[in-house]
Parts: sequence; structure tokens; C-alpha cells
Amino acid sequence: MQTDRRTFLQSIGAGFGTLAANALLASDGKKPHFAPKADSVIFLFMYGGPSQVDTFDPKPALKEWADKPVPVYKKEDGFFQDETKPTAMPSPWEFKKYGQSGIDISGLLPNISRHADKLCVIRSMHADSNNHGPALNQMNSGFIRPGFPTMGSWLGYGLGNASNDLPGYIVLLDKNGAPVNGTINWSNGFMPARYQGIPFRSQGVPIANLSRPEGISEMDQRARLDFLKEQNEKYAWLHPDDSALQARIEAYELAFRMQSAAPEVTDLSLETDFTRKAYGLDNETTKYFGRNCLLARRLVERGVRFVQIYSGGNTGPSAWDAHKDLFGNHSRQCAQTDLPVATLLSDLESRGLLERTLVIWGGEFGRLPTHQGSKGRDHNPFGFTYWLAGGGIKPGHIHGASDDFGYHAAEDKVHVHDLHATIFHLLGLDHKDLTYAHMGRDYRITDVAGEVVHSLLA
Amino acid sequence: MPRPFQCFLAILPLAVSLPAKEAGHWAFAPLEKPSSHCGIDGFVLQKLEGAGLGFSRKESPGRLLRRVYLDVIGIPPSLEERAAWLADPSDANYEKVVDSLLARPQYGERWGRHWLDLARYADTNGLHQDSDRPNAWRYRDYVINSFNEDKPYAQFIREQIAGDELDSDKAENWIATGFCRNGPSNEENVAKNELEAYRLDQMDDVISTISQVFLAQTLACARCHDHKTDPFVQKDYYQLLAVFNTTVPTYVPINENLTLGKPILVPIKQRSKTKLSEGSYARALSDIGLPPKETHILIRGNHMTPGELVGSGIPSSLSHFPAKFKLPVSPAPTTFGRRLALANWIASPGNPLTWRVMANRIWQHHFGKGIVETASDFGNYGDRPSHPELLDWLACELRDNGGHLKPIHKKILLSKTYRQSSAYKREASSIDPTAKLLWRFPPHRMEAEVIRDSILQASGNLNTEAGGPGIKPRVPSEILEQSKRNTWPKVTNENKEHWRRSVYIYIKRQLPMPMLSLFDTPDPSQTCGARFRSTTPTQSLALLNDEFTNEQARHLAKCVLAGTQNTREAVLEAYLRIFSIAPSKDDLEKAISFVDSRKIAQDGKTDSEKLAIADLAVVLFNSSQFVYAD
Repeated sequence: MQTDRRTFLQSIGAGFGTLAANALLASDGKKPHFAPKADSVIFLFMYGGPSQVDTFDPKPALKEWADKPVPVYKKEDGFFQDETKPTAMPSPWEFKKYGQSGIDISGLLPNISRHADKLCVIRSMHADSNNHGPALNQMNSGFIRPGFPTMGSWLGYGLGNASNDLPGYIVLLDKNGAPVNGTINWSNGFMPARYQGIPFRSQGVPIANLSRPEGISEMDQRARLDFLKEQNEKYAWLHPDDSALQARIEAYELAFRMQSAAPEVTDLSLETDFTRKAYGLDNETTKYFGRNCLLARRLVERGVRFVQIYSGGNTGPSAWDAHKDLFGNHSRQCAQTDLPVATLLSDLESRGLLERTLVIWGGEFGRLPTHQGSKGRDHNPFGFTYWLAGGGIKPGHIHGASDDFGYHAAEDKVHVHDLHATIFHLLGLDHKDLTYAHMGRDYRITDVAGEVVHSLLA
Repeated sequence: MPRPFQCFLAILPLAVSLPAKEAGHWAFAPLEKPSSHCGIDGFVLQKLEGAGLGFSRKESPGRLLRRVYLDVIGIPPSLEERAAWLADPSDANYEKVVDSLLARPQYGERWGRHWLDLARYADTNGLHQDSDRPNAWRYRDYVINSFNEDKPYAQFIREQIAGDELDSDKAENWIATGFCRNGPSNEENVAKNELEAYRLDQMDDVISTISQVFLAQTLACARCHDHKTDPFVQKDYYQLLAVFNTTVPTYVPINENLTLGKPILVPIKQRSKTKLSEGSYARALSDIGLPPKETHILIRGNHMTPGELVGSGIPSSLSHFPAKFKLPVSPAPTTFGRRLALANWIASPGNPLTWRVMANRIWQHHFGKGIVETASDFGNYGDRPSHPELLDWLACELRDNGGHLKPIHKKILLSKTYRQSSAYKREASSIDPTAKLLWRFPPHRMEAEVIRDSILQASGNLNTEAGGPGIKPRVPSEILEQSKRNTWPKVTNENKEHWRRSVYIYIKRQLPMPMLSLFDTPDPSQTCGARFRSTTPTQSLALLNDEFTNEQARHLAKCVLAGTQNTREAVLEAYLRIFSIAPSKDDLEKAISFVDSRKIAQDGKTDSEKLAIADLAVVLFNSSQFVYAD
């Protein structure tokens, strides 16, 4: 029994099974466990760790305790233990309540504030590492250590790809490059390479090797591919029992289609001036993240399952990692992202896509409410904020609470595993049933934990 | 508090039976040599006949030559080698070919690479800044040399687990313990409150790797709780931890005259990066002079909840093996000799797992899959052997003949099983669709390295220089730009330096070489016992459009045109260089007509003939016939 099941799973994975011929197309014959509420995910990853008490989780107590040691502080909580202080640092930004739901949002995010009634804000997130690398691993794969498949890989494995000419798992990086961990952030881990995330560029050639080599016209390429097809069909005919050979033929056809589909999807000049302006493409500050948000909408329109957009790249100073200067850092990061994110939400809504697209906003952890040095905040995995919007999510809702200082998650806590379980649930997958056999056991994204947080659901 | 690394098992029925709890589990049974009149072929034929099948006809000489070259050295034969073989494709000459291939240094490069998958080898730390490991290549070369020397397997095991305890005067022994240090690490910024969790994860990497690589047991499952399907309790895991618990990363300077400096032990700290990274040294592991550390069972794997105190030992369910775990007797408390005791227990002729596991790995790489397909899991959740007697016979051959691999290779390569045709047969396929019973030689897609090296061999550009620091060939600029934090050089034009064998490509964990990783080179975060052979459109794009393929195709065209008189000859030579097999008349005519049509399309260009042949070469490099070993 067990062996049969494992062999079956591996046969899908390795492209050897009977499904392999279709493996590169459509949904690969894969079905969700139950009716999904969302078909696609756009994960807005605020790399570096945005501060909850300066964005979505107001803490008046920080003013009362300003520059005084807060009782919840423990020295060992800091990542930079020699610089982090026990004293409260009030937020330099004022909060207001927005929309009918009265969700609190700081002055840093004036545009996202307009969409308060769409958001479901989780104020009680917590994670397991206060270091970027392991925390990124956990947010992306459920595990602290590298080597595990990431969320987009799991969704590809569980649901297949709904696009006929684009990959199902696409990553859009910040102008400063990849975060720490590099390619490990979109790794297929122990799954086959077909579940790897594919980084797309929003300008120029979208993916590596997509362009034909220099001096090769489209006709030349077609001639090469036609002769190749003849060769490959002959070999497949000689070995009809190996469906991977059929899959190779399909892969070249898909590659050929991608050569026109990918530049088409990344050609943002096909959008109206109005749209491009709305995403901030006319402005130096917003244009890079804006392009990625617009591209994400174009990708989900075409059926791409999982799009992850990073705000922040390379190391801390070019991300949300506000150790030294919270004000400068968060002002910059919010200025880059606030308008594009807000436009993405309204654009998805006006095109009827928001209903079936789950939008996720958050980082690998949050920030401590106390001082690091005189103006910064250190990492905080003990309590931070995420928000979700769209497909199947309860709009205009606040879930859970942190303690008086925004230091620890306190009520209705949501662990990263719970977040993953809930995301998978919205996509029609039971996280406990979506397993992958590897080295003697069945793995899942939620390890041995995770519960669907039903109160987040519409 | 970080949660410890955990595992779970979801789909097993509750009332799962655990036959391995009995000593009767097949992999734990005593290893005795089954009698055989005809060696390998006897065992295979017996199973085939049982299913109403038989061997296929003998493989054609041309195809067999390509098969054995790709298998043993990972490079196709040259035109001269091919011609010499075809002049005398006799059994006696075949044996000579096999002997000469096994004696070539390229054998170690090919088979050493299989071991490097198991050893999760890489040239960078992987975590955080992905810092370089400028001396990691010494371990890679150690592995290649060990295969070339045909080092006894028992010695190979001992050196990698406890080389320093075996003979601390030999640089090679220190370098070998790099096996225990190949996993991902962070030398720059472990969070202070995660230091112990991080250290235990580092230890877990060692325990998990050793138990899977040498014993094909998933012992790391018992870190947090008793193993759910195999007979390992938590105590078994912590007894192994006790063997390694005191060890720390160690650097041994290697001086110019190859003498060793004093080992420098670097305990895990928030920032443990050593200045040493500049010089020459062995990346090793040791616990010389360190006070022994107590080891407790950690309840649910959490170091905040220590339980019972345990000593060094091996799993109790394996204690019935004739091999015994013997710690050195010492009056003073010492850690010295613990790892050697473990290595000796693993490497003992009385450990049936060790020999079965390695015999299976050898078979796996010759035929594309193992007798036990889950090559690193011989537990209850793994596969059963398709040919248990054959496996035991091979294991005994390996164990009883000094642990040398080359004689086993030779037996396999000379077998009828190996030399039969790979052609499909409908009737046989209907009985045994996956050819598990080996009614034919099973065709399979080649590894990434073989594909790249074969392209270089065909174009005449392969640089066979061996050893030394890793090379950094061209990575497409679109990928380099995504990784600004990475320090891969921007290579505009590749040259001979870059055209060395793929085993010498620098392995950067956060920026794996795309041409290789797209074809399933493993993520070196964990040990890999069997690679995937996946098919993706991005793979197609790389092989079709990357400058590497196109440049090598143009080189090939140039060489071919220089040595031939007309298009027909040129096409034939290109075909032979790439496939090592002569085309049928029909194939040749089609290829010529393709080249002619490409010439017309390129009309007006001075080098239209070269471009047309290059087009043909690109197509053939992408063809299934090229990327498959059959």
C-alpha cells in the first residue's frame, strides 16, 4: 500500500508516470481536495521585517512608556543584544481608523488606508527565528533549515499549473536583487525541478535564455524546433513506454510559446497610460515596485498560480531591516510600495480578480517596540502583523492582538504554520493531506503543526 | 524559542505493522553469499524466466561503446576510440576497453560525483551571506582520488567519519572529515538565543547524513520521538549524537611542504568566521583536547527539555549484527576514539547494511535505478529489493574482496544483463512495463554534468585538467543581476579555463549553475541518494538558447568543416561526434536536407555552411537521443 502510493507520487514528480505527457500543461489533471475560494496568490513579501507598531498595530502605551524600560523586554530577545535597549520607542507616525470597519493604519500608508475595508489584519502572528535567513526559510517553506519546497512549489505540486504558456510559480525581485538565501527562497527543495519558482524581470528579457540566440530569427528557431521535434518523436516512438520522452516534446513546444507569451505579459506598454500612472510607473520612487505589482496582476490574469513580489533585496539596509533609522527606512520602503499595493488592490477588484486572488502582505518577522541604538528597532518574531485580502478572506476584519506594547502575540495567536494552513485551505487544499514522501517520511509544508484559522475566512 | 526540527507521518494506517522491529527485516538479515553459477546474469535470468521473459539480444557495438563510456567516465568516446573499437568489437577487446576506462582519471571524476551528491558537497556556506569555502575543493578532490585509487570502501568510511582519529599526521585524513562539515552553515550571524538550536541542527545534519549515506536508515526521524516505521527509539539518535556532541569545526593549516599546522578548533559562536579562510587548510571536524560534553535525550527534540543522560552507542535494533561498537578503554574521561568506534562498526564486514547499501548504489548508477530504488532508505518506508539475492551476492563480492569497487564495476559491465540491447519490446513491456526485471538495458536521461561534458567533448573543447579550486563559467546576466549579493564573475567570453568538466564547477548554494540545476543537480542542503530526471520548459530554453550550447555548436561546425570535403561528410562527422552512433541512411539524408535548407536560409552570409552545421548541432544537442544513455 505505502509503496504503491509513494511510487505513484514519485511517478508524477519524476515525470515518468502516465500523467507525465500532460504534466507540463493545464492543471496536470490535479484537483484540489475541496472547492477552492481562491485560484491565485500574490504574496507581497516585505523582506527585512516591517514594524507592526508603525503600520497596522497602534500601541498608545509606547507613548506613556517612552524611553522607559518595558517590563516584557528580555535582553536575549534581541538579535543585536548589545545595541537593543529595554526602553519603549513610540511610533513616529500617527494612526487613524479607516473605512467602515475602522481598521487602524498609520500615516505611513495613506494609499493602502483607502482599502481598509478589504483587509483582514492579523495582529498576532509569530514565528520561530529572529534571523533573516532561517525566518525567510520558515515563511517560504515552513522549515527553518534550507532544503524544503517553498509555498509555490507545494501549490504547483498540489494543484498543477493553470497557465498553458507560463510557469505556475513566478518570483519578482526588488531592484536591489534577491534577499538573503538567494535561490533557496524559491527552491523546490526535495521536489523535482519543475516545481522551482522562476524569477521574472519586469523589464528587458523576463527570464534567462528566453530570447533566441543572437542572429537566430523566429523562423530560424522554428526550423530548428521542427527538426528537433522530428528527432524527438522518432526517439519517443522507439521507446513508447517512457512518457518522459513525450513530456520532452511538449516542453519544447511550451518553451516556444513562452518565448512569445513571456515578453507579451511583461510588456507593460500594452497597458493604458492611466493604468501605468496609477501603479506609479511615472514616478522614480514607486516605479520599480509598481511595475512588479502591475506585472503580478497580468500574471494572475493569465492563470499563474503563485506570484511572490519582494520589497527589499540584498542585505538589510536595502530592505525593511530598520536597525539604525526606523524613520528613514520605513519612510522609504512605504513610499516605494504604498501606492502600487493600493492600486493593485483596486485594479484586481475592478477587474473582478480580487474575489479569486488571495493577496498577502508581510515580512519574515516584525520589529521590537523598543529602541535599538537611538532610532532603530531590532527583529521581532514573537509578535507581528500580516494582512490578507481577496479570495475567501473576511474583509474589514482584525484578528488577534499583541500585548500592550506590541511585543508578543497575545490573543488568538497565528503561527506561520497556521498561516500556511489557512492559505492552502483557501486554495482548496488540506495542508494535512498534501504530503510528499522523502527520505523515509511524508513531509508537508506545516511540518507537524498548523491549524486553519477559520475566523479569517469570509 | 525556535521549535526543533520536526517530522511527522500522516498517511500510515494506524494499525501499521512494523516488521522491522523483528530482526527479520530484510536489510538487517545476516549477509551471506547466495550460491550462483552464473554470477549476476544467473540471478537476473532467474527472475526474468519466472515472469516468462528472457534477455534481449546483444547491444550493437556502437551503442554499447557509448553506453559504457558515459557510464564509467561520463564522456562519450572520441571518433578514434570509436573506430578502433568497431575494428574489433570482440568480447576480449570489450574487456580491454572496460579495463582502460576504469583506469582513467575520468572514472573518479564521474563516480566521485555520485558520492558528492551523497556528501551534499558545495563550495559555500549556504546560509546568510553564503560565504565562500575556499578550501572545500580539497574534499572534492579527495573523493575523486579515492575512487581513482580504488580505495577499500571500509577505509573510505573510516577516513570520512574519523580520519583525524585514524592517523592525524595525514592531511588526507583531515580533509576527509570534511564529509561531516559539508552541510550548510552560518559563520556570520547566528542569533545568540538560537546558538544551541543551531549547533544541534549542525549535529543533526551529520547524524542524518551518516545514517542515510552509509546505512540507508532515516535515523534523524528519531530526533523528536521514536521512529514511526523503523525500529529506532529516541535514545538511538542521542547515542549517536553523543559520538559527535563534543566535535567542533576545525581548520588544519596545510603548509607549503604539505606538512600540517596545529589544528584550530572553532566552537560555534554568533560570529565564528576565521581569518584562516585566506590560506590553505583542511576543513575538518574534531574534538581534540575538548572536555567531554554530556549528552541527554532531548524531549521532543527541544534542548530546553533535557531528559535521560546517554552515552555513545549504536541503535539497539542493530546490536545483533556481528559488528560490535567498541569504545577504546581509557582511564581518563575522553572523547577520543568515539567516532572511530562508530566508523569501525559501520565499516565492519559484520555490518550487513553497509555492504548492501553500497552494492546497491553501484548498481543504481550503472542501470539508472537501484535494486532497491530508494537507495538511501532501506527501512520499512523504503522499497524492497527487486533482486534480493543479486543484491546480497554483490554486497558479499564487495565486502569479501577488499571493499574495492572496480572489480564490481567490471563484473557488472561484462555481464550479459548490462550488454543487452536497450530496444523496446512490446510483449516484454506488457509484462514488465518499467523493465524492473531487466529484460532490456533501461534507457535513462543522463545527469546534467554528463550532458554538459558531452557537448564539450563533441565540440572538441573539453579541457581535461583535473583538480583544484572550482571554476566559474558564464551565468546568464539575467540571473547574475538577480543575485547582486553573490559574487559570481560576469563572464562575457568563455575560454578553455571554463571548459573543464562539470564536477569542477564551483557550487554556490545560493546561485547554483543554472545549466546544471535545471537538469536536476541536487540541492546540496541535504544528502541526495537518487536524482530526479525532470522535464521543464526552462530546461529546454537553456539547452536551446543559452550561449553555451550555441557557441559549442559553432566550434563543432568549424572543426567538422575543417576536416571534411563536403556537406555529406561534414554532417556525418557531426552526427558521429554528437551521438557516437552512425546514422541510418534515412537519418543522414534528413540531416543533410536540414543543413541544406539552413544554408539557403542563411544565404548571403559568408559562413552560411558553418552556421547551418551549427544549427544541426544545436538540434542534436537538444535531442532525446543525445540526453539519454541507452
